[in-house]
Amino acid sequence: MIFREVEDPDLIAKARRGDVEAYNLLVSRWEKRVFNYLLRLVSNREDAMDVSQEVFLKAYQSLPKLDDPARFSGWLFRIAHNEAFSLLRRKRPETSLLGEPRPAEALLESGPRLLPMELSLAVETALGRLSPDQREAVLLKVYQGFKFEEMAEILECPVSTVKSRLYTALDLLKTTLAPMHKNAFLKQSLRGEL
Amino acid sequence: MSCVSPESKPDWKAYVLREMSADAARQAEAHLATCSICHEEVATLRLTLDTLSTLREEEMPRRIAFVSDKVFEPRWWQRVFNPTFAAGALVAAAILIHGFMGTSQSQVDAAVAKAVAQVEARHMQEIQAAYEQLDVRDKQVANLVRNAMLSQ
Repeated sequence: MIFREVEDPDLIAKARRGDVEAYNLLVSRWEKRVFNYLLRLVSNREDAMDVSQEVFLKAYQSLPKLDDPARFSGWLFRIAHNEAFSLLRRKRPETSLLGEPRPAEALLESGPRLLPMELSLAVETALGRLSPDQREAVLLKVYQGFKFEEMAEILECPVSTVKSRLYTALDLLKTTLAPMHKNAFLKQSLRGEL
Repeated sequence: MSCVSPESKPDWKAYVLREMSADAARQAEAHLATCSICHEEVATLRLTLDTLSTLREEEMPRRIAFVSDKVFEPRWWQRVFNPTFAAGALVAAAILIHGFMGTSQSQVDAAVAKAVAQVEARHMQEIQAAYEQLDVRDKQVANLVRNAMLSQ
């Protein structure tokens, strides 16, 4: 028997009719992705959690305004983007948007022999060196898999701006992560051999 | 081997990010097979993406509060601007206006009956939703009890 999972648009239609469980299921499907996206943007677990909560609350309240249920993910991330940047703007006086130096900076200089945990931390640090706009472009494309057009809708800017931010970010990351490449390459080779 | 001019060079970032059309990708691959400079550029971009993919996905400190929780309850102004409430208010306003304009009793009665039916239908929906929630919670409790018994 082939099990067909209930699609998001079906859940959205049910949620719009007042089916609370349908919305609960939508939340459980998307909460981790939204939380991780927000965490990388606001760089604080509690803030990311609070903003995630706010995002799903706003999404629930605005569900009747969603024109095309097939584009729920982009719509949800647009709400998340707006909430995150609203928080960043409020916090701007106390913390710089460009990010503060982190203890993990040294990892970026430590070369290829890093443990997976250290490698992950080094990537996090490299992402932290990007501007919020550049970082968000990487998050939406590399980690969330949105197309350029979808990103343009989420960020409310032209595709050319999306590409410019993402390409600049990739150039910067290419340089910053160069010492780590051997490690990734080694893992890739090992995976190939297994 | 030297590469084509920068203007006509394939957009390798779009290529590795799978944003190139199938035709453009085929042409780019044909060029890639003969150009060592572009080959190296693509390899470096792929390594960068591979390294980025090592970023661990973080677990959430706690689950998002579900819509049945207090936090999801609409505020007073959202209740006022709720479409169902607005429809009820419109019916009520219509009754009042008709009353002032000397409308017949039968028209007023029909409008009142319609408004009452709407309110009753809404109440029935709320009761049904509450029953469904109770049903789900009963099942969850039954599962918890069963799991606890099995683990003993």
